[in-house]
Amino acid sequence: MAIRLFNPLTMDEPRKLGITLVMPSLIIVFGFLLFPFLYSFVLSLMNYDLARPRGNGFIGLGNYIHLTQDMYFLNSVVVTLVFSFCSVILEIILGVAIALVMNQDFKGRGILRALIIIPWALPSIVNASMWSWILNANYGALNALLSQLGILHGYRPWIADPSWAMVLIILTNVWKETPFTVIMVLAALQGIPTHLREAAVMDGAGAVRRFIHVVLPMIAQIVMICALLQVIWSLLHTFELVYVITRGGPFNSTDIIPMRIYWQTFKGLRFGYGAAMAYLAAIALLIPAVFYIRSAYKTTVE
Amino acid sequence: MKHRFLFSLVFLLACASLFAQESITVIFPKHEADLSGAFASRVKEFEASSQIKVNLIQMGWDDVNNKLTAEMASGGSAYDVVEFDNGNVAAWLGAGWVEPLDSYMPKGYTNGMIPGLVDLFTGGDGKLYGIVWNNDTRFFFYNAGMLKKAGIANPPRTWDELVSQSKTLMSKGLARYGMAGFWKAEWALANDFHFYAYTYGGKIVDKHGNILFNTDPNTLAAAQEMVKMLKEGVVDPASLTYDQEAVNNIFLKGDVAFLSQGIPGIMSYAQDPARSKVIGQVKVGLVPGGKVGTSAALTLPEAYAIPKGSTNKANAWKFIEFMTSRETNKKLAQQIGILPIWSGQYTDSDLVKLYPYWADFSKQMASAKGLAVLTWYNNFVDVCIPETQKMLSGKLTPKDALNEMAGLLKDYAGKP
Repeated sequence: MAIRLFNPLTMDEPRKLGITLVMPSLIIVFGFLLFPFLYSFVLSLMNYDLARPRGNGFIGLGNYIHLTQDMYFLNSVVVTLVFSFCSVILEIILGVAIALVMNQDFKGRGILRALIIIPWALPSIVNASMWSWILNANYGALNALLSQLGILHGYRPWIADPSWAMVLIILTNVWKETPFTVIMVLAALQGIPTHLREAAVMDGAGAVRRFIHVVLPMIAQIVMICALLQVIWSLLHTFELVYVITRGGPFNSTDIIPMRIYWQTFKGLRFGYGAAMAYLAAIALLIPAVFYIRSAYKTTVE
Repeated sequence: MKHRFLFSLVFLLACASLFAQESITVIFPKHEADLSGAFASRVKEFEASSQIKVNLIQMGWDDVNNKLTAEMASGGSAYDVVEFDNGNVAAWLGAGWVEPLDSYMPKGYTNGMIPGLVDLFTGGDGKLYGIVWNNDTRFFFYNAGMLKKAGIANPPRTWDELVSQSKTLMSKGLARYGMAGFWKAEWALANDFHFYAYTYGGKIVDKHGNILFNTDPNTLAAAQEMVKMLKEGVVDPASLTYDQEAVNNIFLKGDVAFLSQGIPGIMSYAQDPARSKVIGQVKVGLVPGGKVGTSAALTLPEAYAIPKGSTNKANAWKFIEFMTSRETNKKLAQQIGILPIWSGQYTDSDLVKLYPYWADFSKQMASAKGLAVLTWYNNFVDVCIPETQKMLSGKLTPKDALNEMAGLLKDYAGKP
């Protein structure tokens, strides 16, 4: 069977055509995804230090063991968890709230729906640069606004303070990622049959009860998918944001895992160690990814 | 007929290969002062005089560095002349990535070059591995207009004098702060750590890679001075968010009176109304020291080198020789004000006429020092950035921060 499948001489024309059409994708998947994926695993088991190549070689789980004692890596794990948790919670709450407003009938709704997608549609690097200027201590719009409103007396270097740096990085991420949740939830809201809401109104249910008992169950699956995607993206899509605004500082307070991987690999030239970090991050990402696939599959089946 | 056609084709291809122009591929960062394409023009002159075509790749420093890391690690032959940064000397020589130039260059070629620039790219084996194309020494600039208005006769000679002059300027409303530091969590913060240590006569490591910074009293004094300046409000508290460009801009906008580590191009920028609000007010002084007479500057030169994998090493050397020659160096200095690598050019009448302040640069150059040369320099930077920031934020005392750094680097100590 296998020989028939891959032997072009015995294959019929449609099969040949099918394989020919699929081949470019297969080459891309194997060449650009699978090979690097496997090769980086091999690297993670090696001491592969470009700056000191004499000690390079196979060290088994050495890099992984070292990671458990690496103070900066452990700090990155905590920073990433705080960042992801706060970002996702805020994105979901705000996303659902804005979607509920957008679902109402009011003048200018179409324009507002189009405008709200802009932060999400902006390239991450543009978004990061823009916020970097807004947060600039001397010339930033945030300080200017707060000063003019009389809230702040004198300009404040927000991102020099580790707590504020983290809060602001989370908020900039929320600003960018929330529109995705809004659009997804809005689509789900529009799929709720009108008669369900009308029946609830006739039964005397208030707005809150209608939301809890009618709307929420109908959008729960989509909200779950959004939350899982946001967890995954909070690890994958935030490098530019942190790199441009804080570089992981002050004193590693915003040093998320992708920053640490970048630093160890491309600045520290420790490719084996960087690969081990990337692998641990990939394993951590598998958890939300599995849940996401299951939720998406369940939604499709339903 | 068919054979005749094939024969003609083969003949034409053979002729084409005989007359094909030799070519080399060169990669180095775009110089910050080169807004007019001066380097590209010199490359064209080289092509015309040598008949060697140059595929020139110029991009930002980080991009070049990332590209070269991957290329050199793979032993590739994509480039014939590469950027060789002073911070990479130990790592690249340790990895054996670059070719010694001694067998290519004429005897005595480096005679007349600034000795420190030659030493930085000389390996432990006494061979030369790079010729500097960018003499990136940093200088101390001050706003003479502000000082004059405040009745201050001379620029500070020590950091303590800088603190007291800053307080005077700030109290009279002439400057928002005395100075700003580029203390953002990035590579350059480690440069500034070196810089302050050097101005106190401090030491980072010895030649065997043993850590000295946590036991050397001068380095501790330098670290304490950094914290003191921030604590007393002399240094802009937003310094932990500034990179070098931001600090230059703050100085050029007239918000601060002093720029401790300015690029040579600051003098030109200061005269440009589009960039500067301090036209005619900026002067060069000696970097203040921990005490009078301990002035020091940081030099971060970048060189041309030939990778081991290059297949055009002889032509690569011709390029390096042309681009670093006295003639080319002078032309570049005249056109965009880059600092020459040849000592004699600081007294060249044409250049002195154009850049009278070079006499002051020349005085500082004698005390210029490079970064610590370590194969684990990257690890040093990784630790230096957060621990220095902790110290500057008051989370750790200077002594504790230096000890913490030493502790985190203990696995590397004693390895050059």
